Amino acid sequence: MGQKEDVFLHLEAATPALRRYARALGVSMGTAAADDLVQTAIGRVAARLRAKELRDAEAVRLAAYQLLTALAREKLCGHPEAGFPPRRSALARGLADLPFEERAALLLVVLEGLSYDATAQVVHTPREAVVMRLMRARAALAPLDLRPSSAPHDGVRRGGAHLRVVK
Amino acid sequence: MDESELHALVDGELSAQRRREVEDHLLAHKEDAALVENWRRQNAALRAAFEPVAQETPPLSLRNAAARNAAALTPPIESGAIHWGRPSSSFRPARRFDEAKGGRDRRALIAAAALLLFTMLAGAALFLAPKVVSGRGGVRPPALSQSYVERADIAYATFAGDLRPAEFDAARKTELLAALLARIGFAYAPDLSSVGLRFMGGRLTPGLLRPAALLFYETAAGERVALYFERAEAEPAALTAPKPEQGLTAVEWRGAGVAFVLIGPLSPDKMQTSAERAAYEIVAPGVSGQ
Repeated sequence: MGQKEDVFLHLEAATPALRRYARALGVSMGTAAADDLVQTAIGRVAARLRAKELRDAEAVRLAAYQLLTALAREKLCGHPEAGFPPRRSALARGLADLPFEERAALLLVVLEGLSYDATAQVVHTPREAVVMRLMRARAALAPLDLRPSSAPHDGVRRGGAHLRVVK
Repeated sequence: MDESELHALVDGELSAQRRREVEDHLLAHKEDAALVENWRRQNAALRAAFEPVAQETPPLSLRNAAARNAAALTPPIESGAIHWGRPSSSFRPARRFDEAKGGRDRRALIAAAALLLFTMLAGAALFLAPKVVSGRGGVRPPALSQSYVERADIAYATFAGDLRPAEFDAARKTELLAALLARIGFAYAPDLSSVGLRFMGGRLTPGLLRPAALLFYETAAGERVALYFERAEAEPAALTAPKPEQGLTAVEWRGAGVAFVLIGPLSPDKMQTSAERAAYEIVAPGVSGQ
């Protein structure tokens, strides 16, 4: 019980990462809508915290990703790609064109640094399916000529339990 | 080589040994190496595109969401664990407060109302600030500018270092309780020996709005823990998250119309346990439950 506040602090510290994920996952929905999803997700995680369903920091983090993914799925599958602004980067368009589940798997692994197992837990799918989605997403994005737009960002990535060096 | 192995390499999912093997494979197979290179570029592009979002300061709505949830979580003593101030408890000087504790929904509503009130008062304060300052005489501030925790923190900092922190030592407990009852309207010195805290004595101290009590307890190692309490019937909780001094942990709870703060240098877990014990002792004195 004494760790409850720490767990909450962890949720607060995860907010920037959750926004990053929401923005990329809902790349077609716009900033405000993505932030709304994050807000709703945080509220639901906090409710689960109060109900004592979540024990440790990692469970909180995964629950937050899980709820956020579910909310985005609900929203995006309701009205798909409504009013997607035409002038967007090739990457944004490539992401928006991916099927939702492939985009989620790709972003959880690449952007959020989750392991395959954690990702599988977040999207309620066997690990093999996660790998398949990842492979399909990467294959779909492969034709794009993607170059990092600025200096390598890995040095400043935050909260990454799974930082990876990009050579 | 299976393509999934190449992905696993990029995503850091391989064991060190397998990783070396796959890397060796890449040296010999240019087309696989090109795939891996392409995916790494994708990764870098994705991170570069969205990392700035994580570096931004979250919008107000999200910071508020965090603060609101913190407020909902901070009563550190869960009513699920300790039924403080419940109607069946033997003493309850403040009926009003018991009623206000109707339930979580009720509390949430009160918190929301307090927030609204605070916003309005903050706006009003912009205009009225000079008047309030000049008319300080007996005028009670409309909202708490300080939390009980901060108050307890100051009292602790003031007295805990003293050679004799208590006005009334343990031998004069009856006198102490009589004095506290007269000035505060509530007096109880919970027995915390079951959590290794020996009662040292106590004193009257200036509270937030009224006189308050500061009781000292000592561990076998000589660390001093203080229990602060002040009558607090209808005051809204302070709106800023209290930050006790470094090295101190404070646990705040309400019960029977009184605000309690246990503050001391013990570990957060130990402080929590002690606070639970104290809250339990106060609600159901003498019952040695655990």
